[in-house]
Amino acid sequence: MEYTVYEPEKYVKMGIKVWPMMFRELFASGELIWRLFIRDWSARYRQSLLGYLWAVVPPVVAVATFVLLGKKGVVNISVKDVPYQIYALAGLAVWQLFATGVISGCGSLVNSGGMVNKINISLEALVLSSVAQAIPEFLIKCLLIAAAFPVFRFTPPLACLLFPLAVIPIYVLTAGLSLVLSLVNGVMRDTVNVVTLVTMFLMLLTPVLYPLNPASSIVFRLNPLYYLVQGPRDLVIYGRITDPVGFAAASLFSMGVFLLCFRAFYIAKTKVPERM
Amino acid sequence: MSDTVIIAEEVSKKFSKNIRETLVYGVGDVSRNIMGMSAAPGDIRKGEFWAVDKIAFELKKGRTLGVIGPNGSGKTTLLKLINGIFMPDRGRIKVRGKVGAMIQVGAGFHPMLTGRENIYVNGAILGMSRKEISRKFDSIVEFADIGDFLDAPVRHYSSGMYIRLGFAIAIHCEPDILLMDEILAVGDIGFVSKCFRKFRELREKGISWVLVSHDMGTIKCYCDEVLYMDGGKSISYGDPDKAISSYLLDMSRKKADISRVRTMREFTPSEEGRIVDIAFLDSRGLEKESFFTGEELTIKIEYIANERIESPVFGVAIYGSDGQMQTGSNTKISGFSTESIHGPGSVLFKMKNLPLQPGVYRVRADMSDSNVGIIDMLLEQKDLRVEGGNSGVGAFYTPHEWVLIPGGNG
Repeated sequence: MEYTVYEPEKYVKMGIKVWPMMFRELFASGELIWRLFIRDWSARYRQSLLGYLWAVVPPVVAVATFVLLGKKGVVNISVKDVPYQIYALAGLAVWQLFATGVISGCGSLVNSGGMVNKINISLEALVLSSVAQAIPEFLIKCLLIAAAFPVFRFTPPLACLLFPLAVIPIYVLTAGLSLVLSLVNGVMRDTVNVVTLVTMFLMLLTPVLYPLNPASSIVFRLNPLYYLVQGPRDLVIYGRITDPVGFAAASLFSMGVFLLCFRAFYIAKTKVPERM
Repeated sequence: MSDTVIIAEEVSKKFSKNIRETLVYGVGDVSRNIMGMSAAPGDIRKGEFWAVDKIAFELKKGRTLGVIGPNGSGKTTLLKLINGIFMPDRGRIKVRGKVGAMIQVGAGFHPMLTGRENIYVNGAILGMSRKEISRKFDSIVEFADIGDFLDAPVRHYSSGMYIRLGFAIAIHCEPDILLMDEILAVGDIGFVSKCFRKFRELREKGISWVLVSHDMGTIKCYCDEVLYMDGGKSISYGDPDKAISSYLLDMSRKKADISRVRTMREFTPSEEGRIVDIAFLDSRGLEKESFFTGEELTIKIEYIANERIESPVFGVAIYGSDGQMQTGSNTKISGFSTESIHGPGSVLFKMKNLPLQPGVYRVRADMSDSNVGIIDMLLEQKDLRVEGGNSGVGAFYTPHEWVLIPGGNG
């Protein structure tokens, strides 16, 4: 049996040799990620009256508020080809996969502080299992959207079944950002508050609750979240992605961010447990 | 092939005392590492200190290393370095085999989940597959012995039950190396003895064990070698008796500095007489300050009686470094008749087998008259130092012998 060697900045010194090791350890953590995910999900609503309904209450309240404001003439939102309620619910489902995932992932290491500095546990498993908490919530929201189709007399295209798969790119981006942000939050606890504020701001630059014209501002055009939210929702409304190039570019960008963030996380993660 | 399972090569770990510096240095170090740059871990910055400083040892398969030292000496940090929770800032640690760490058992428990659910989660955290946990489930439950609480959320567990379940899971990981940090302090006596039976069983299977404990009895019973740490440094490494003795002596000295003032008392002798000197003599009558547990010790009290004193009473008291009296007697309690004294003389208090465990002690002698009370009292300024030998364990040494009578006809 080989010796496991612990030495200063072992992973920094490894250079590109760290890549196969990263993925080997990630795949080896698969069962642990699943167990931690089940642990947190099953404990989450155990002492809650509404339980899993909490996954749908916030988007329903948000959409109802905008509908009400629209009726009173406070805001003027017009969407084409689809009832506004379905447009907003689909946008919120994708957005909240990103926002709740990144906020939960960012706080994951600090929230597991009692474990991180007492057990040699895979830190990526802790972060990724926390980010994964957003997936069942997203799937519950998908059911809410499906329930909304007959209510608002909208006949969805068959391709809307691909909606859950089309969010993979934004989920990959969420996981990547969460890895690095969880590390930064481990040494600087303000990070999770900053991330919460930034996601709120980013929501304004992304067509979640209202359409945005990408031609009107370069900020919209360069915002990958624009394409990553719009693309899956297009499948629900039109049965196709209206800007496939933008969506593909944003998906590639997400993958690149994930790889860079995962590598950064892997080589710097040893600095965090001692600061918990 | 070498049978060494742990090699620590001048391993060091630094920490910062100040939270703000921890934050600033942390952000800097993580940022540098994220960009693939070195954070120069071997350099010490303002406010940082070496929590573990150039510790070196080797542990062979099937052997047990005890780690002792005062609080804050770096013992737990060293265990975390061996376990790979912390990375060294200098030096290197090489570990061969599956490590089972019991630094804080039950650390991965979710308070809302039941004991049953937590067995699966904690097992996975400790590296067991679901299949493996299912196979060992009954054995874990039997070992934990928590009865009906298995299906109750662990937040309703007592601290003892929490430890029992955590321990039961950890012990079923089948490690090659077991790291243990004083975790049995809260278990009841039945559970603790069950755990030690399990340890013996595991040791017979050849696992190596690193044990951090403040209980010198446990260390002495189980450890083949002992590392005594203080201030992050290795003070003594190797022979358990030597390391334990060195530790107890140092602790005793440190405490003595605090308690000396408390135990010192000024006493103005009466005109009848006074105690002139106290000396510690060995079996040959030679004066010395350091004795071994179980060795013969004579405390010689020299006095001057300025006038005739009828039936004086001489007393001796030995104080520990905490200022508490450990043992003592006087001639009256012992039924020793002193009749009368006049002029200079000495009284000998002989102990055939010194019962004191290693440490630093202070000796007080007093002389009294049955009529006027205390004539004089003297606290010896020199320490009585006791070092360890094959003295057994516990609060005090008792002279003893063993007899084995095979066949049950004794």
